[in-house]
Amino acid sequence: MDRMNQSETERCGNQPASEPRVGVYICRCGGNISDVVDTDHVAEVCKLIPGVTTAKVHTFMCSDPGQQTIIDDIRQEKLDRVVVASCSPFLHELTFRGAVMRGKLNAYLYEHVNIREQCSWAHKHDPRGATAKAIALISAAVGKVRHSRPLEKIRLANNQRALIVGGGPAGMKAAADLAACGLSVLLVERSNRLGGKLASPQRMFPTGAASGEILSKLESDMRSTGRVEVLLSSEITRVGGFVGNFDVTIHGPLGPSGSMTDTNVSFGAIIMATGFQPYVPHDGEFLFGRHPAVMTTVALQEALAAAPEGKMLKVNGHEIRRVAFIHCVGSRQVEGVHQPGTDGRLNKHCSRVCCTTVLNQALQIRSRFADTRVYDLYQDIRAYGRGHEQYYTDASRAGVVFFRYHGDEPPAVTAEKDASLHIRVKDYLSWGETLEIEVDLLVLAVGMTPGPCEQIVDQLKLPRGEDGFLQEIHPKLRPVEISVNGVLLAGTAQAPMNLQETLAAAGAAAVKARSMLVKQHVELNPYVAQVDANLCEGLGQCVAECQYDGALKLIETSRNGRTVKMAEVNPGLCVGCGACVAVCPNRAINVNGWRLDQYDEMVDGLVRELVPA
Amino acid sequence: MAGPFNPELHVDLKRFGAKDLDMCMNCGTCTTICPMSEDSGGGFPRRVIRLVQTGQQKKLESSLDPWMCYFCGDCTLNCPRNANPAEVMMASRRYLTSRYDFTGLASLFYRNPLTEIIAIVLVGLFITALFVFLHGPMVLHRVELNTFAPVKWVELGDWIMAGTLSFFLLAGAVRMTWWTLGRRDMLRVSPMIFIRQIPTFFAHLFTQKRWARCGSHPSLIRWIKHLLLVSGYLSMLTLVLILLRWFQTDHVYPFYYPQRLWGYYATVALLYPTGDFIVSRLRRKEPIHFFTEASDWIFLVMLFLTALTGIMVNVFRVNGFPMATYIIYVIHLAIAVPMLVVEVPFSKWSHIMYRPLSIYLAGVKKAVADSTGKGSDAQALEPAAAA
Repeated sequence: MDRMNQSETERCGNQPASEPRVGVYICRCGGNISDVVDTDHVAEVCKLIPGVTTAKVHTFMCSDPGQQTIIDDIRQEKLDRVVVASCSPFLHELTFRGAVMRGKLNAYLYEHVNIREQCSWAHKHDPRGATAKAIALISAAVGKVRHSRPLEKIRLANNQRALIVGGGPAGMKAAADLAACGLSVLLVERSNRLGGKLASPQRMFPTGAASGEILSKLESDMRSTGRVEVLLSSEITRVGGFVGNFDVTIHGPLGPSGSMTDTNVSFGAIIMATGFQPYVPHDGEFLFGRHPAVMTTVALQEALAAAPEGKMLKVNGHEIRRVAFIHCVGSRQVEGVHQPGTDGRLNKHCSRVCCTTVLNQALQIRSRFADTRVYDLYQDIRAYGRGHEQYYTDASRAGVVFFRYHGDEPPAVTAEKDASLHIRVKDYLSWGETLEIEVDLLVLAVGMTPGPCEQIVDQLKLPRGEDGFLQEIHPKLRPVEISVNGVLLAGTAQAPMNLQETLAAAGAAAVKARSMLVKQHVELNPYVAQVDANLCEGLGQCVAECQYDGALKLIETSRNGRTVKMAEVNPGLCVGCGACVAVCPNRAINVNGWRLDQYDEMVDGLVRELVPA
Repeated sequence: MAGPFNPELHVDLKRFGAKDLDMCMNCGTCTTICPMSEDSGGGFPRRVIRLVQTGQQKKLESSLDPWMCYFCGDCTLNCPRNANPAEVMMASRRYLTSRYDFTGLASLFYRNPLTEIIAIVLVGLFITALFVFLHGPMVLHRVELNTFAPVKWVELGDWIMAGTLSFFLLAGAVRMTWWTLGRRDMLRVSPMIFIRQIPTFFAHLFTQKRWARCGSHPSLIRWIKHLLLVSGYLSMLTLVLILLRWFQTDHVYPFYYPQRLWGYYATVALLYPTGDFIVSRLRRKEPIHFFTEASDWIFLVMLFLTALTGIMVNVFRVNGFPMATYIIYVIHLAIAVPMLVVEVPFSKWSHIMYRPLSIYLAGVKKAVADSTGKGSDAQALEPAAAA
């Protein structure tokens, strides 16, 4: 009973001092709406809704004259709330908010109703029903807007410094680009050297350049800016905060003594350049780990760098007359065929770089060691990049023999007595016939798995895709941003990429970070939770429900001379999900712009009976 | 399960002319476009290329597919990788020829053209030496070829040569038959099946009629030229092996006499196509003439020269130049004999046997498959469990 009373009190208490004056504008959308919905009738009925001062129809509300009508009415009719019923808010909500602002009204005293997609288009064979639905939706919006309060974007001080996690090519490129814009950057690398996977010597496709040359160019680009501080052998042990104000604890050899200490630093943005780990075949996968003649493409890279020139490739002193590559080891795994990793997940993704890596290595073998024969067992040759296809062509010309297997029937490898390996492959280039190949060396083309960054991912609640890599907001429209504002993705932390794509992504992340860091303040949408100090009893249920670390906490405050507990919102961390609102028994917490009393009014509005005189 | 894997097979085939074989990515365009592939049920040229790529030597040796191709070149023109499938088929025919031959000479000649030239020169010198040391009296006031080279001795030499060549060629044919049908089928099949297919052999020997259906228009014209060549060649063999006593006379018959007319026909039927082929190979306008191996040149040039010297013997004899007649006669034989000795069993000429034999064997295989009540695919040749 008490609760009911409180609720009533809240509603009454929230009533505006004077009755709001709402203007309703109905768009015909050039017939898109008015061919079905009786817009004139809707306008007549809307005038009956409590609080509506004027209701008008226009052929194109979004046109300049349409917007001008709103601005003029705000002045002449002294409107203080506006509702436009037109197309989807995705299309024109911001348009009309702009018009409202030009009429010197707070932009959040505006509601948008979609009577095109939701009425005229969805119910074009039922004009009466569509018209009735349009009226109900507008009625609800009027109810909501009557209780809207003026809101302002949240402005927070911005810490204009970037943290880059990972000192591989992506991290170095992002650091160099950011520093070149005049920003200060701290790059933290877990290992004791820069370069990541690029540090092992190799010849890179598609140019044949040596990895060392690319690496030293990246490093000198970064160092020459003078604005990048590099911390090696350091790890991020704690990260919290929000865009513009991330708090990070770094454990590393800091200070003049170089002893391992913890340091707290603040950053405005974080770039995740944590990279990838090569897939490690499980024990016995294609005899990996059980036979000395089975190795990964990563190990072969080193073996090739160390191999003496000659007629035949020598690995660990053994002459290799015949070598076979198997593609897609640890990539494109199939349920029921492949063994899941320790995390129980299958790597279903294509690692994208292994095909050209194999062709590159096969070609190196054929060009350096004339008497070593090369066999290539693939599912598909995905040599997709510019210049990559040439590797396939060249490998063919160099006499590499290709075999094609299906992912659910991988080749079977057995050891022979003479230390060679016996491969049976169901070859779909030979009409599914099972062929047998003897080789002296088997190279597994291992794919990419997500790099280690658990600490940061857990603490910042960064989303991962099904493949375990960090997931961008939108693969096309927002490819280097992640759903945590202020955190950006650079390179293979996000997905398997080759070096070219990695550096492009790192450059994009740097540009995005720069656009955040150049501002003195960060501006956030005002749709965050707000606590009513009069109603909060400090029960803490909302805090328990909140999924965003630090967004809600219980504080002690004094009320009427007594020390009481109360919930407090950190607007930088709150995402406005409303989970707290749902659990509060006192209706003491609300999301701005979507308050409970507005919901009440919307429900009332939907069921309101309006009969024109 | 496939047989033993010979990783050097694709390297080997390059020596027989399949230089671009490795470029094949097995897209299958060649097989789709091939006018002969479907009714042979072979899936070639890709199947043959794949056998070579994957080193399945035994399967290649038992395959008739290479002989079902008449090199229209449509596959090569349409190959997206410029792997030249038609040339792979050509090379596999050369390879098979060398494998059918048990002496190893064919293999030697194809891989190393110089050895073929040396062999031809040696045989030519041997023939020349025979005449230098053993020729009959040289009558110089009029042409008496039969005194210089008595027809009964020449005929004897002809038959010795024909017997020897037939032996090697038949040995190759037996190996081809054995490998193609397989031991079990060879012994299991009723002899009637072999006998009933014999007309097929001769029909294709004389007409090469499958070729007429192969490929686009230029191929048809080439078939006609080839038919002309075959008729000239068989005419010449008939005249020299069977009718030599009638053909090699000292009496000059009138122009219209069949002995002269047939000889002139054979000459034209040999000179025109060989000359035309030589020009085409030099121009390289059609796929079949893009690449010419040494064995092709030797074959064409020797045949052309044989016909040319043959007609020159006739010209000198008819016009009464004794010495010129005798010299050119020796040269003629010093060219014709090595050509036949080297080419017929060990090189390109052997296809006169293998082409029709392959179609004969394909017919036998089909008949076997039909008689066991299974489809005509390759699997039907596996012995039925119940039988």
